[in-house]
Amino acid sequence: MGRLILRKAVVLVVSALAGSIVVFLLLRLLGGDVATVILGPGASPEARAELRSELGLDRSLIEQYLSWMGGLVRGDLGRSYAAGYDIFSEIVARLSLTVSLAATALILSWIVGLALGTYSALHLEEKRGGAIDLIAQLGISIPTFWAGLLLITFVSVQLGWLPTGGYVPWSESVTGAIRSLILPVLAISVTVLAPVFSRYVRSSMVEVLREDYIRTAMAKGRTLRQAAVTHGIRNASIALVTVATLQLGSIVTGVVVVEMVFTLPGLGRMMITAVTSREVVVVQSLAFLTILFVLVLHFLMDIAYGLLDPRVRDAEKAGSHGR
Amino acid sequence: MAARRSRSPQLIVGAALVALLVLAGLLSLVWTPYDPAALDVTNKMAPPWTDGHLLGTDQLGRDVVAQLMAGALNSLLVAVLSTAGAVVLGVALGLTAAGGGRFWSDTLTRATDVAIALPGILVALVLATFFGPSNTTAIVAIVVWFVPGAARIVIGPARQVLAREFVEAAMAYGRSRSFVLFRHVLPNLGPLIIVMASMMFAGAILTEAALSYLGLGAQRPTPSWGRLLFESQSVIGQAPSLVVFPGVCIMLAVLGFNLLGDGLRSRLDPRHAREVVV
Repeated sequence: MGRLILRKAVVLVVSALAGSIVVFLLLRLLGGDVATVILGPGASPEARAELRSELGLDRSLIEQYLSWMGGLVRGDLGRSYAAGYDIFSEIVARLSLTVSLAATALILSWIVGLALGTYSALHLEEKRGGAIDLIAQLGISIPTFWAGLLLITFVSVQLGWLPTGGYVPWSESVTGAIRSLILPVLAISVTVLAPVFSRYVRSSMVEVLREDYIRTAMAKGRTLRQAAVTHGIRNASIALVTVATLQLGSIVTGVVVVEMVFTLPGLGRMMITAVTSREVVVVQSLAFLTILFVLVLHFLMDIAYGLLDPRVRDAEKAGSHGR
Repeated sequence: MAARRSRSPQLIVGAALVALLVLAGLLSLVWTPYDPAALDVTNKMAPPWTDGHLLGTDQLGRDVVAQLMAGALNSLLVAVLSTAGAVVLGVALGLTAAGGGRFWSDTLTRATDVAIALPGILVALVLATFFGPSNTTAIVAIVVWFVPGAARIVIGPARQVLAREFVEAAMAYGRSRSFVLFRHVLPNLGPLIIVMASMMFAGAILTEAALSYLGLGAQRPTPSWGRLLFESQSVIGQAPSLVVFPGVCIMLAVLGFNLLGDGLRSRLDPRHAREVVV
């Protein structure tokens, strides 16, 4: 187990470093002069030179990179040029909204995916199972932002049940926070996560139902449904960890889009605002932190698998690295 | 098999939706009911069926049908170019990874794994920071976004083909590795690549719409479905139909390519009845 953790930790650090270098170099070399990008082509050479020294762009690339990395560790990422905020504390302030959005969507989709997937696997050959599959197919085909817009149109504007956007922090009002998160969470779950999860659960459940232990359970007097619930759901929900990790990219995309649709002041909105006002320094740090976040979750998942699944540990002990 | 029979309607519905999309897009080149950019300020936000505007007009009085048709063309354009780019680069990368030496193969496989895990939208955001929003930004972003996935899909099957006797025979005959990869392995992956391309097409349409909604894709005067939805948000209370129609178009287009891909998969590879969740 120790060896597994060590090896995965090395992979994590190497990938994170590689990611930081790629982000850094892309944002330095891709578009030429950062000061010109930020200030626009009309700026005077003096203004550009001043900004360059303010942002430390007159130093060598290696110095810039090291000071950025050092700043990450110290919690000092500099200031936003256009909006003036301190980048690090702004990220910290916006984190809770984005995380609660993503986590709630994930949990909701997990439950819905398990329920729908199991139901559709049990009724595979019937119309009911096919209907669920069709719904999942439709859900995947709906753009997340459109689902958000439809929810705003019908639930908020026409029925007036929930706010059309904006966010009430948890510290101010718990019900307010919940009310402002319901529609965004629904939009992400319905279009991104729940369909993928339910299709995955269905195919894994179809396989589980063919296993001998299901037949054993049924021979002992369980119904197929009971056997599926006790054995199948456990199997499928552990395997869903992998699927969820593979979906991290689309979760991030979904969160960014939904924060724009519902004008939620989270990290996604911060990113888009930084991109449209060409704030290279902000984009650089946010992009890297997103990458780091995804890599860390992957690392944790690998470790969790090692703990949960003895086969992974044994494979590691035997030293068979080939997959 | 029952499963197979029930899949043919998928193929038909999918192909019909795709044909409709292509037809509407191509038709917009020569004919639209009105000029998609023509403003008609006396007829702002007309509801559907007003004065010959089949689906009404938007907040500047532009005809919705005309804009949707032009938007279809834009979606197709972005999807064709980005899918082609991603398939070519991804397949090339996948074949190289499958056919290369042990170290090369492991490194590439691992790198694609890491790349798949990363949020593709970051690429679009980084590109847009520098080059500003445009169709080109969207296309390049989608290509970079999809290449690792394409490579990953190809690597496994390519390795399987490489392990077969006729490849061994070709090697024994003295063919070079790259000759074998392109003349023997690639044709055997044909069905897989066709299905993958169809699915990617769906993904590209969805992604293009999201990027142009976020303001990172096509800009006016080029109509794009995502942009139409962005603009509709400001009049969401007055003209809900403007929110509905572009979204329906995106959904049907994506559904069409997804169904087509599913249908093709069971048609081209009857053994593969089970779905793969990517």
